[in-house]
Amino acid sequence: MLTYLLKRLASTIPVLVAVSIFVFGFVHALPGDPARLVAGPDAGPQDIAAVRAEMGLDLPLWEQYGLWLNNAVHLRFGKSIRTQEPVSTVVAQRFMPTLWLTLVSLAWSMTAGIALGVLSGVRRGKWEDQASMVAAISGVSMPSFWLGLLLISLFSVRLGWFPTGGYDSWRSFVMPAFVLGLGVAAVMARFTRSAFIEVSAEDYVRTARMKGAPERRVIWHHTLRNALIPVITLTGLQFGFLLGGSIVVETVFAWPGLGRLLVDSVSLRDYPVIQAEIMLFSTEFVLINLVVDLLYAAVNPEIRLR
Amino acid sequence: MLKWTLPLAALLATAGLAPAQAAGNVTMAFDNNVLGLNPANLNDNLSMSASRTIMQGLFGFDKDMKLHPLLAESYEANDNATVFTIHLRKGITFSDGTPFNAAAVKTSFDFMRDPANHLKRLSLYAPIDKIETPDDSTVKITLKQPFGPFIANLAHIAFAVMSPKAIAEYGKDLDRHAVGTGPFMLDSWQTDTLKVVKNPHYWQPGLPKVDSLTIKSVPEDGTRISMLQAGEAQFIFPVPPGMAQSLEHNAKFDLIHKPSIYARYVAMNVLKKPFDDVRVREALNYAVNKDALLKVVFNGYGQKLDSALPSGLAGYSSQGGAWPYDPAKAKKLLAEAGYPNGFSTVLWGNSASLTRKAMVFLQQQLGAVGVKVEVEPLEAGVMISRIYGVQKPEEAQTQLYYGGWSASTGDADWELRPLLSKMGFPPTLYNTGYYSNPKVDADVQGALETADAAKRAAFYKDAQAQIWKDAPWIFLVSENILYARVKNLSGIDVMPDGQTLTLDAAFTK
Repeated sequence: MLTYLLKRLASTIPVLVAVSIFVFGFVHALPGDPARLVAGPDAGPQDIAAVRAEMGLDLPLWEQYGLWLNNAVHLRFGKSIRTQEPVSTVVAQRFMPTLWLTLVSLAWSMTAGIALGVLSGVRRGKWEDQASMVAAISGVSMPSFWLGLLLISLFSVRLGWFPTGGYDSWRSFVMPAFVLGLGVAAVMARFTRSAFIEVSAEDYVRTARMKGAPERRVIWHHTLRNALIPVITLTGLQFGFLLGGSIVVETVFAWPGLGRLLVDSVSLRDYPVIQAEIMLFSTEFVLINLVVDLLYAAVNPEIRLR
Repeated sequence: MLKWTLPLAALLATAGLAPAQAAGNVTMAFDNNVLGLNPANLNDNLSMSASRTIMQGLFGFDKDMKLHPLLAESYEANDNATVFTIHLRKGITFSDGTPFNAAAVKTSFDFMRDPANHLKRLSLYAPIDKIETPDDSTVKITLKQPFGPFIANLAHIAFAVMSPKAIAEYGKDLDRHAVGTGPFMLDSWQTDTLKVVKNPHYWQPGLPKVDSLTIKSVPEDGTRISMLQAGEAQFIFPVPPGMAQSLEHNAKFDLIHKPSIYARYVAMNVLKKPFDDVRVREALNYAVNKDALLKVVFNGYGQKLDSALPSGLAGYSSQGGAWPYDPAKAKKLLAEAGYPNGFSTVLWGNSASLTRKAMVFLQQQLGAVGVKVEVEPLEAGVMISRIYGVQKPEEAQTQLYYGGWSASTGDADWELRPLLSKMGFPPTLYNTGYYSNPKVDADVQGALETADAAKRAAFYKDAQAQIWKDAPWIFLVSENILYARVKNLSGIDVMPDGQTLTLDAAFTK
C-alpha cells in the first residue's frame, strides 16, 4: 500500500513538468504583447519598456522558463503583474473561498443526487422516478447566471434573507452553493440511477433477496455499495472541476474565487498567475485521481492496489 | 479566512436591523477590481478612483473635471511653458504624520519618474527635466521642452504626492501601501474588498464627513443593482444603460446621468483605399444615424459628437452641430468617388457587449448605402498585436476601427495628440487610422509650446475645424456617465472621465 502510494506520487512529477512546459509555451504563444496590455492604451513607449523589464519579458523564452522552473521548485511564484502582489498570496486568498464553496456545493449535491438516484432506481418507472428525473434534467439545463439573478431578486432584494453575494458568513454561501451544486446533483442523480439499475440485475442481488435479506439491506448494502464505483469516479471529476472555480457563479455572486482570477489574469496576460493557477489545478486533479483510486479499494474490497 | 463564528453576529445584526450607513460607512460597488494604489503605476479608472481616496496631487479636478489647485496654492509659468513655479499650501501633513512640503514633493516626483522603478505612468513624467525646491513651500519644475498642458497633467492622479516615509519604507510595494495627504487611509484590502477609513490628520476642516468607504468588486451588472436595492451598497457604478430604467424615478435611489468625455468613433485607415478618398469618409459619416445609435446602444443616454472632441473636454469647440444623417447623399458621394455599388470592408473593435452592439448597428447602417461590413470583435491581446504589432504605417491591416477614448488629463492635448496626430501613430500611441494633417500636427505642437490658455484654445479650435473637414473618423457619440446612489447619500460623484470622487461623501438625515 505504502509503496503504491509513493510510486503514484513519484509518477506525478513528470506529469506536472510536462504540464508546466505546455502551459508556459501556450501562455507565451497567446497573441498580444503583455507589456502593452498591462501598460494600457494610453501608455507611451517608455511605459511599455518599463513594464517589459519589470515582467522579465526582455529575456529569451528558454531563460524565462528556466527561471520560472527554478523558482517554482523553491515554491516561489513571483509577483502578479496585474496587482503587484506575490502570486502565492493572490492564489491562496482565492483558493479558500473556492475550496469552501466546492465542499459545501458538493456535500449537498452528492447527498441529494445519490438519494434521488436511489429513489428513482428503486421506484423505476413509477411517478417518483419520473419526477426525480424531470427535476434532474431541469437542474442540468437551468442556465446558472439566470437562476442566480432570479434567486438574488427574490431572496436578497424582496425577502432580504441572504446577501446578494460576497464571502462573509454562512448566509453568503446559500445561494452560490445551491446554484453551483444544482447541475452536479442532477448529473449525480442520473448516474446513480443507471448504476443502481444495472447492479440490481446482478446475480448477487437476486441471491441476497432469495436468502431473505431485508429489502433495506439489499438496497443499501448489496446494491448501492456496488453502484457507488462509477459515482465515486464522477464525484472525483466534479470535485476537480469545481475546484477550478466557476466563472459564472463567481461573477453573479461576486465570489472571490479562482475562476474569475483566471479569466482576469488571461485577459491581462498575467503570466505568473496563469501559470501558478494551472499548476495548482493540475496538481489537484492528480491528487484527486489518487484519492479516487484509494476509495475504490475502500468501497469494494475486491479491488486491490498494487 | 472563513469566519464560522460570524453567523451569530450576522443574525444579531439583522435582528437589530442596523443599517450600514448609520455609522457613516459607505459601501460602493464597481464592476472591476482595484489593482493597485500607487497612482504613478495605474491606468484603470477604478484603481485611480480608489487611489484618490488616499492620495492627492498639487492640482485636482472637481466633479465636472474643472481644474483647481489642491495641495498647491498658486503657480506661475514662463511664456514658453518650460518652467513652472508652484507655491504649496502650508501646514499639511501626510496621514502618517510626515510634514508635506517642497522636499516631499521632490522626493515623490523623483521616485515616480525614475526609470529604474519601472512605473507605468513614466510617460506623464517624461517632460520633466529637473525639480528644485527654492524654499520649503515652493517647487520649481523645469521641463525638457515646452509643454503647455503641464498643469492639467499635474492634476492627473499619477502626480499625487506620496509620503516620503512610505517611499523609504515600502519602495516597490507602494501599490499595497500608499500613504498620502488624502481624506482617507488604507485600512484593509482582501481580494475583492478594499476599505479606507477617515484620516484624522486631514487638512480641510470638517472633511471627510463619513467614517469609512468600502469598495467592492461586483462584476455582474444585475447583482450590482440588486445590492443597491437590498441596501448592501449605497453607491454603484457603472449602471449599464440597458438597466438604467429600473432605477429611474425611484423613491429610494438617485440615478445620475451626465455627459462624459468619452468620444465614440470609427477610425478609417486613411492610408488605405477606399478611405484615402475624403468623399468616401464623408459618405460614411452621412450614412450613420447617430440618434438611432444613441437609442439602440446607449438607451438614449448620450450626445452626438459635433467635433472630434466631446463637449466636456477643455479645448472643445463645436463644429455647428452633429454630422447630418443623409443616406442619399452618402450614396451620391460614394458614386462620385467611384464606388456606385459600395465596397466590402472589415470593422474591428473590442469584445465588450456594448461595442458588439454598436458594431452590428454600424454594419446595418453602412450596409444600407452599399458598404458591406464584416464585424470582427477582438479579444484584448489580439487587438494589441494587430494594432501595435505594426512597425510601418503602410503595413497596417486596419480598415475600420470602432474605438472609445477619454482623455485622463481632461485636456484636448491627450486626445488630439495620441489619436489624431502624426505623433500618435502606432506602435507609439493610438492613432489607429493613421490620420495626419500638417496643419493639425502644427496646432497640436503649437498648443504644447505655450501655457497660455487662450492661445492653446485657439490652436485646438483650428485643429478641430480641420479634422472635421478631413473626416478621418465617423464621428459618433459621447455616452453619458451613469451611476446610482441611495437618496440620503451625497458627495460621491463620477467625473466625466469615469473616475469617482469621494471627498465630500456625506449622509443627510
